[in-house]
Amino acid sequence: MLKFIVKRLLWMIPSLFAVSFLSFVLIQLPPGDYVTTYIATLAASNEIVDQNTAAQLRERFGLDDPMLVQYFKWIWGILTRGDFGISFEWQQPVSGLIWERMALTLLLAVASLLATWAIALPIGVFSAVRKYSIGDYFFTAFTFFGLSVPSFLLALVLMYVAAVEFGQDVGGLFSSEFETAPWSIAKMLDLLTHLWLPVAILAVSSTASLIRVMRANMLDELPKPYVTTARAKGLSEFRLLTKYPMRIALNPFISTIAWLLPNLISGSVVVAIVLNLPTAAPLLLQSLMAQDMYLAGAFVLLICALTLIGSLISDILLALIDPRIRLE
Amino acid sequence: MHDGQKPSRGVTRRTVLAGLGAAVALSAVARRAAAATGKEAPQLAALVKDGKLPPLAERIPPKPMVVKPFEKTGAYGGTLRRGLRGSSDHNGILRMVGNQGLVRWNMDFTEVLPNLAESWEVSADGTQFTFHLIPGVRWSDGHPFTAEDVVFAIEDCVKNSELYSATPAQLTVAGKPVVVEKIDDHTVKFTFAAANALYLENLATPLGQHPTLFPKHYCSKFLPKYNPNLEADVKAAGVTSWTELFRAKCGDIEIPSRWGNVDKPTLDPWVVKEPYSGGATRVVMTRNPYFWQVDTEGNQLPYVDEINFGISQDVESLMLNVISGKIDIQERHISVLANKPTLSQNMEKGDYRLLTLVPSAAQQCQIYLNMTHKDPAMRKMFADKSFRQALSLGLNRQEIIDIVYFGQSELFQTGPRPGHPWYHEKLARQFTEFDPDKANAMLDKAGYDKKDADGIRKRPDGQRVFFAIDVIPTLYPDLVDTLELVKAQWAQIGIDVKVNTIERALYYTRGDDNAHDAAVWPGSGGLDPMLDPRDFFAFHPQGSRYAIPWTLWYTSNGEKGEEPPESQKQRFKLFDEARSTADLAKRGEIMKQLFDITAEEFETIGVCLAVGGFGIIRNNLRNVPEKQPDSWSWPNPGPALPQQFTFTS
Repeated sequence: MLKFIVKRLLWMIPSLFAVSFLSFVLIQLPPGDYVTTYIATLAASNEIVDQNTAAQLRERFGLDDPMLVQYFKWIWGILTRGDFGISFEWQQPVSGLIWERMALTLLLAVASLLATWAIALPIGVFSAVRKYSIGDYFFTAFTFFGLSVPSFLLALVLMYVAAVEFGQDVGGLFSSEFETAPWSIAKMLDLLTHLWLPVAILAVSSTASLIRVMRANMLDELPKPYVTTARAKGLSEFRLLTKYPMRIALNPFISTIAWLLPNLISGSVVVAIVLNLPTAAPLLLQSLMAQDMYLAGAFVLLICALTLIGSLISDILLALIDPRIRLE
Repeated sequence: MHDGQKPSRGVTRRTVLAGLGAAVALSAVARRAAAATGKEAPQLAALVKDGKLPPLAERIPPKPMVVKPFEKTGAYGGTLRRGLRGSSDHNGILRMVGNQGLVRWNMDFTEVLPNLAESWEVSADGTQFTFHLIPGVRWSDGHPFTAEDVVFAIEDCVKNSELYSATPAQLTVAGKPVVVEKIDDHTVKFTFAAANALYLENLATPLGQHPTLFPKHYCSKFLPKYNPNLEADVKAAGVTSWTELFRAKCGDIEIPSRWGNVDKPTLDPWVVKEPYSGGATRVVMTRNPYFWQVDTEGNQLPYVDEINFGISQDVESLMLNVISGKIDIQERHISVLANKPTLSQNMEKGDYRLLTLVPSAAQQCQIYLNMTHKDPAMRKMFADKSFRQALSLGLNRQEIIDIVYFGQSELFQTGPRPGHPWYHEKLARQFTEFDPDKANAMLDKAGYDKKDADGIRKRPDGQRVFFAIDVIPTLYPDLVDTLELVKAQWAQIGIDVKVNTIERALYYTRGDDNAHDAAVWPGSGGLDPMLDPRDFFAFHPQGSRYAIPWTLWYTSNGEKGEEPPESQKQRFKLFDEARSTADLAKRGEIMKQLFDITAEEFETIGVCLAVGGFGIIRNNLRNVPEKQPDSWSWPNPGPALPQQFTFTS
C-alpha cells in the first residue's frame, strides 16, 4: 500500500509539469492577448485606451516575449519563490486572489455534497427495494427532471420568482449589511438563509444522477444469493440492507470524492455566475475571458493538482472500504 | 433621506464653541464667520463634534466651487445603488465618481467649464495654458492640493519613462511631451512644443485627468526619486518592481487598482471604502469630508452618503435587480434594445423612470470596406469609389430602420449629427436613397457586368464578387440583424457577402493585422467630431477600419504603415490645423473643408443615424437630468454631477 502511494505521488510531478505547460499553451491559443481583450472590453462601453498606453501595456506584461520564455519565467517564479505571478487585470498577486475566495467555495462545495448524499442515498435504496412502486415512479420522474433541467435555468427561474414575486434578496451569499461584517452568530444565520438556494440548485442534478446510480447498483446486488442467505438466517430487513448490499453499492459515492476537489473551483461555474456567488468559479471564468494568463494558469494548475490528489484519496478510500479492490 | 441638516448644524456649532478655549475660540469664530452659511452632512457634523474632524470652514476652500442643483437644493443622506460587471468595469466607477479634472464639460457637451482650475489663460499661439487653481482645496485626507501636485503628477509621474514608457498621447504634441511649471502655489503653466488648441476639450475628458490624479504627499513615497528605501518597500509588498507598487497604490486613469486602495487621497466627491479588487462582490464609496464643492446655499456636497456598486457577474441578474427596484440609477450594461420592453413594462413595479441617452456617435452601423486589403484584386475593388457608391445605393435603409430599430432612426451616412453646428448635409445624406437600378448600372459600368449562375457578379479577373464583413455578435447583436438584411439587399444587386460573426479579440487582431475584408462598428463623431474623427479620415489605428495602414502612417509620422493618397494627407494637414486653432468659428471653417473632402471621397458606407440608449432612475432620486449625452468623452453620468443627486424620502 505504501509503495503504491509513493509511486502515485512521484508520478504526479511530471504530470503536473505536462499539464501546466499544456494549460499555458491553451490559454494563449485564442487570438490576441490580454491587451487586445482589454481594449475590446473597454470599447464595448465606447471607452478608449490611450494609444501610447496600449503599446506600453504589452511591453510591461512581457506579452511580446516568446511563449516558452513567458512559461519558464512563470514556472521559475513558482518553483523558486512560490510566486504565482501578478494578475494583469487586478495588479494583485494571484495567490491572494485565489485564497480570498477559497473558504466560501469550500463551504458551498461541502454543503452541496452533503445535501446530495443525504438525499440521494436513502432515496436510491428505497427506489431499488420498492422497485416499480408508486414511490419509485415518483422519484424516477423527479430524477429525470433533475437530470434534464440545466441548473442555471433553474437558478434563473427561482431567482426571478423570488425577486419579482416575493421581493426577496436572492443573489450572493450575504445580505448587504453583513457583507463586510466580522463573523458572528447573526452573520452565520444570514449565510444560512442565503445558502439553501445555491445548495438546492447545485444538489438537484447531482442528486438525480446519484439516485439512478445507487438504484442500479442496489438492483444488481439484491438478487444475489448472499442476500437471500442473510434473509433466510432471519436478519432484519434494515440491518441486512445496510450491512451488505449497500456497502458494495456505495463505491460510486466514494469515487465522487475524486471529482469533488477539482469541482471546488470549476464546478458550477454558470450557477455561481447567475447567482452571483463570491466563489472561485466566476473568477476562473473571468480570468479566462480576459486572457489574464497568470491567474488563469494558476487556476488550471490548482485544478489539476486537486484532481490528482482527489483521485489518490478516493483510490485509498476505495481500497479501505472494498477488500476486493485491495486484492486486485 | 433621514433627518434634515438643520438641527445637527445647530448642535454642532454650539458644542464646538463651548468646547474651545477662549483664545482659540476667537480665531475660530472669525473663520467660521467667513463661511457662515456652510452646512455639512450630519455624520460629518458628529465627527466634528467629537473632535475627529476639523470644522467645515477649515475643510473647504474659502471660495469653494458652487454647483447649481439641477432641480432643487437636496437633503443629505441615502445610499445610491448602482451595478458593475464582474470584470474590467473600473470605468463604471470612474464615470460616476472620478470626474474631477482641472476643467469639466457643461451639460450640453458643447463648452468647457472651470472645475479645479477656477480660470485659465491660453496664449495666442495655442502653446501655453496657464491654470489658476481654486485656493484652499484639500485632498480627501486633509492635505492641501496645490500647484506642486500638478507639477508632480506630470513631471515626476506621467513623464517618468519607467512608469510610462510613452507619454500619453494627450500630453504629447509634435512628438514632445508637455512641460509643466509652477508659477505660484495656485498657478501652473503647461507649455506644449506646438499649438494644441484642443487641449481644454481633451482635458475635460477622462483621459485628461492625469494632472489631478497623483497627490504628491502620498504618491511620492512610491517613486525612487523621493524614497531612497523604495526597494525595501517593494520587497515587503511582495511585488517585483517599483512601477508595479506605484500602480497598485496610486493607480492610473483607467485601471482597476485606481479603485483598489482605500488609503490613496483623491479629490472626488466620494472615496473608496470597500475597494474594487478581484475578490470583491461590491464596491462601496463613502463621502469625502474634504470635498471642495458646495451648492448655491452653501451646503457641502455630495448630498448622497454612500454609493454602493453591486458587482453582477451576469448582466441578466443585473436586469433582475433593476426591475425589482434594487438599483437607483443604471444605464451601463442594460442599454440594449432588447431590454427596452422589459424595462418599460416594469416601471411601476421597480418604481423608476426612464433615462434617455443621446448618442454621441453618428452612425449606428458603419460599414468599412478595407481599401488597403492585402489582396490586390480586392484592394482594387474596394478602392473604386463608384463601387462603394453603388453598394450604398443598393441599401434599403428604411427597411432596416423599420425592422431592426423599430423606426427610431433616419437615413444617414456620417458626420456631425443633425442639429450640431457643424452638420454637413452632403456628408450626412449623399447616396442614402434606395435606387437598385442606378446601383446596377454603376456596377456594370465599373467592370462588374458579368454574372455567374447564381446571379452574383464577377470581378474582371473572373472571381465572384464576395467578401466577409466582420462583426462581434456579443457586443452589438443589432448589427448582426442589420447585416443579415444588408446581405439580402446586396444579393439583389449581385453582390455576395458573408456575415462573419467573430469573437471580439479576434476582431481586433484581424484589424491590427489588416486581415479583414470589411468590418462594421458604430461610427463616431456625431457630437464630438474633434475628439474622435476616425470616420472622417484615417485617424485611429484601431478604429479607421477602411485603411488601418494609413492610420499607422499618420500616427507614426510616416515611419510605419503605408503612404496614403493625397486626399488623406490633405485632411491630416487640415485636422492638425483645426487642432491648433483656438477660435471655434475658424476651427469650424477648417473642419468644413475637411468634411468636403471626406464627402467627396466617400470611404465609409453608413446605414442610419445612431440610435439612442436608455437607462433607469428610481423615482425618489432627484436632480438627475433625464436626457444625457452618451459618450466616453462626456463620461455619463459624471458631468451631470452625481454629487448633487439627492433622495427624496
